[in-house]
Amino acid sequence: MKIKHVVPGLVLAAALAGPAFADKLDDIISSGTLRCAVVLDFPPMGSRDESNNPVGFDVDYCNDLAAALGVEAEIVETTFPERIPALMSGRVDVAVASTSDTLERAKTVGFSIPYYAFENAVVANEGVEMTDWEGMRGKTVGATAGTYEAIWLEEKVTEWGEGEFRPYQNQADVFLALSQGQLDATVSTVEVAQANVASGNFPGIKIVDKAPMVPDYVALITLREEYGLINYMNLFINQQVRTGRYAELYAKWVGEGEPADLTVQGVYR
Amino acid sequence: MFDTALTTNDLIFLARGAGVTLIVTAIAVFFGTVMGIVFGVFRYQVGPWWAAPLTFVLDIFRSIPLLIQLVLANAFVTTVLGWRVSGFTVACGVLSLYTAAYCAEIVRGGIEAVPPTLRRAARSLGLSWGQDMTSIVMPLAVRIALPSWIGLALGVMKDSALVYVVQVVELLKSAQILITRLQEPLFLLIVCGSFYFLISFPIARFGGYLERKWSRD
Repeated sequence: MKIKHVVPGLVLAAALAGPAFADKLDDIISSGTLRCAVVLDFPPMGSRDESNNPVGFDVDYCNDLAAALGVEAEIVETTFPERIPALMSGRVDVAVASTSDTLERAKTVGFSIPYYAFENAVVANEGVEMTDWEGMRGKTVGATAGTYEAIWLEEKVTEWGEGEFRPYQNQADVFLALSQGQLDATVSTVEVAQANVASGNFPGIKIVDKAPMVPDYVALITLREEYGLINYMNLFINQQVRTGRYAELYAKWVGEGEPADLTVQGVYR
Repeated sequence: MFDTALTTNDLIFLARGAGVTLIVTAIAVFFGTVMGIVFGVFRYQVGPWWAAPLTFVLDIFRSIPLLIQLVLANAFVTTVLGWRVSGFTVACGVLSLYTAAYCAEIVRGGIEAVPPTLRRAARSLGLSWGQDMTSIVMPLAVRIALPSWIGLALGVMKDSALVYVVQVVELLKSAQILITRLQEPLFLLIVCGSFYFLISFPIARFGGYLERKWSRD
């Protein structure tokens, strides 16, 4: 009895949903709400303040995007593994969640151009003479074993043929060793480096330079077929950079210095 | 000494989460019970053969995990039907149907427990079906069904923790948000558990009180 009613209902719903489904950009504008997936246990990109409200670079970025569209922003908290399922199941419209633009993911979801890039910084003990990353040559350096930056650093030490590389169990140990002078320098993401310098838990350390490693580019994501929205997001990211809002948000959430260059030399897009 | 970063603000935040849990539970138990009574009486009245389609639908709600029901219902409503409804509405809808599915069984069991001879006696005295249902069956069936119904209401309250998947920040989700921020999982879970206890205990006691009161008259 119930089933008989459900089947024509489904057919009718599918028929009605057809035209309304055509473009997510129109749907967002007409609904008046932009639902963004944001990861809120990943400071400084996303976290919660003392009143438990979402804050961070990604939260502000979502609010900016909503303001540009002329709609209200709704922050939907997700974990890293939940981002894409939340998008696919229609719980959110876009994910502003520091998503690395891998080719594997691009088979499932649609990426905008990068809106942020995680770069690596060279952090040194204040007692060590060092002006740029090349200054690490011949010094005692270390990093968390097995990480991307540790592999890069160890390769450099081997290439230089002088100095020493020391692996550590975790990031806190590396910074403690650096602070105590057991290490001359280390490499970590700019965000971690800035946070550790600002925390005051590791006195006597300074950020020297950015490490010349390929940055981890992250992009906004939405459904693969939503070209209208992806196009809009690309232009939006471009405008964020050109109006200086990108640098402003970087200064607000990450710290001093130049935000990462979002272009890649020698190739389109 | 014991030290925590939990502030009054955070306790208010938890209390607000507890409020959401209570509202969702109250709505689900109210509509679930109303629908459950209708479905239960219908199933008893028309017999197993004609009630089979309804039984089947209710069995779906009883046998699929609530978490999956919530995610699927939310996806169906927002993407297939294209309605922009809040997660709260979806949560209340799904939880009401879930409660109704269980409540229908409790109601049917309650009605079946009333001796058929007693009902025949009532009808032979000239009572209509409606009078029989309200004056004979209801008072007896309610007494039989009450403990299971209280159990159901408490169960639904704890199951309502799953509505976080449709973006409803209820008690447990509030606690998880605080755990992420303050990194004090055990203490916060104890606080959260106490909140649940504070809500459930009066309901359980009220049920016990009604049982005792009704067993005397």
